[in-house]
Amino acid sequence: MAFLRETYYLYLRNLRVWVAQPMNVISPLLMAAFFFFLFGAPLSGVTQLPGFPSGDYHAFLAPMVLVQAAVFTGSDLGFAMLTDILSGYFDKLLLAPINRLSILLGNLLVGATRALAQALVILLVALALGVSVRGGIAGVLMVLLLATVFGLAWSSLGLMIAIRTRNVQLTQSTWLLFMPFAFLTTAFMPREFLPRWLQIAVMLNPVNYVLEAVRAIIVQGWEWEVILPGIWVLAAMTVVFTALATWLYRRATV
Amino acid sequence: MPDNEIVVVEKLVKVYPGGTTAVAGIDFAVARSECFGFLGPNGAGKSTTMKILATLLKKTSGRAKVAGHDVDRDPTAVRRSVGFAMQEVGLDDLATGRDFLTLQGVLYGLSRGEARRRADELLELVGLASVGGRKVGTYSGGMRRRVDLAAALVHRPVLLFLDEPTTGLDPQGRLAVWEYLQGLSRDGTTIFLTTQMMEEADRLCGRIAIIDQGRIVASGSPRALKAEVGGDVVTVTVDAGGGQGHAAQMARAEALLKERQYVLAARGNGNTLTVTVRDGGAAAPDLLRLLHQHQVSVTNLSVASPTLDDVFFKYTGRKIRAQDASGDEAAQVLRPWLGLGKR
Repeated sequence: MAFLRETYYLYLRNLRVWVAQPMNVISPLLMAAFFFFLFGAPLSGVTQLPGFPSGDYHAFLAPMVLVQAAVFTGSDLGFAMLTDILSGYFDKLLLAPINRLSILLGNLLVGATRALAQALVILLVALALGVSVRGGIAGVLMVLLLATVFGLAWSSLGLMIAIRTRNVQLTQSTWLLFMPFAFLTTAFMPREFLPRWLQIAVMLNPVNYVLEAVRAIIVQGWEWEVILPGIWVLAAMTVVFTALATWLYRRATV
Repeated sequence: MPDNEIVVVEKLVKVYPGGTTAVAGIDFAVARSECFGFLGPNGAGKSTTMKILATLLKKTSGRAKVAGHDVDRDPTAVRRSVGFAMQEVGLDDLATGRDFLTLQGVLYGLSRGEARRRADELLELVGLASVGGRKVGTYSGGMRRRVDLAAALVHRPVLLFLDEPTTGLDPQGRLAVWEYLQGLSRDGTTIFLTTQMMEEADRLCGRIAIIDQGRIVASGSPRALKAEVGGDVVTVTVDAGGGQGHAAQMARAEALLKERQYVLAARGNGNTLTVTVRDGGAAAPDLLRLLHQHQVSVTNLSVASPTLDDVFFKYTGRKIRAQDASGDEAAQVLRPWLGLGKR
């Protein structure tokens, strides 16, 4: 009970830190708009190519926008925690007679919340651009759920780097590390359209399975052969990343 | 009386992963309701010891009990009994002073309403009631110290750890913090503080330990420690009227003083007598009476006590970094910019 209470109040505090800086809220939205217009407009012609799975390039692109937003959330979150570590506020929290895992969880939940809020806005933008989700209302809810859990997984990764390095430059540049995961995917083109080496890289990238599951729900509907692998990969990623983050965190704070 | 000891430390050692020995085996105890101080230069092991006792760091070996709880076995119980204002003031800059303190209260188990009331009470106590609605990031250095101190008091701890509580404050801010601390001490809170400032240790602490290079080199009341350095010096100026009788009179006075038990040394020079005694304040009236009885007329008398600086020097052979050195450094850096050239 006490653990949930502590987690809740720390979560509220972290949420306030995020909202307190308008740039934190605006920049993911700008990124989303940027992707839709910069890639969406010039590339929309490719849907005419034979074999392209969707007639609407925005629909094809939407999962990519969702995934990159969640990935960068992880990077931002690591930076937020590092700020607390460097200011000494983190030590102040460690001094309180609380279950110390509530500090970690209070941060991770903000990552999940951000991912959910961003996914909601991105979907609304996509709908405004004429994208229709073939999976229906249930499909929309499923996409939101996947995006939220995905945000949680990447937040763990961001926190791990902050805890381990305790270094501003390194933590700030985690988004560089995240880039290949976000872009070595079928984000812009279906797999059949990619060169051979890229196809292999894409197959090895766990993020791609999640991306394709989300895309299946939007473009094709309940295509379980694509959706299930995405769910399994996401579940595995989440378990591994949160477990690692918890382990590192415990080691750093005992 | 072990029950009376709120902090008990035995053979405490801390070696950092890099191999640096920060604390090299220290023993000490802090009694309930006393104000105990660690006095020593930067890197002496003061902060490390305090962080171990507050459960922020793990010790390498030795034993440490705080408020009756072992710091390794029952850290949560220790955290509940202790308030800790760290040197590096850990604040949440984006929260208002009131919200920051309220969350602290909640984390120490108060209900939201109680925590809010306690936050207002504490803001009042440290003189920040009027800025409680402002973000902590906008506070001045002195205000940050005070709100941090308030945070350490949120759960009414029986024991307060203060790591260099006034470092970086201007004299006015320092005085304000000292007054709060003296108030807390009067109300029965045990205070354990570290400082590099002789004046601070002297003013606040009933007992101090001098720590250098991870070891305690001396401990006791500031008064007793100063007495160990060699006692107070009483300087007496005599009106001997000049002439033949003068030298004889001085010699007589010197001999008279040396007979007194409390006099450690006495030496006459011109018309000045320099007398070293255990306790200058207590000795001065008797010295005057004695000299008067023997028709030596005294025109001036002054008592000088050794400072804790002298104590530190006696035990370490070095001086604690001069208090205003950092200010001088800053001035040196600024000089070219102010068009003042090199000094």
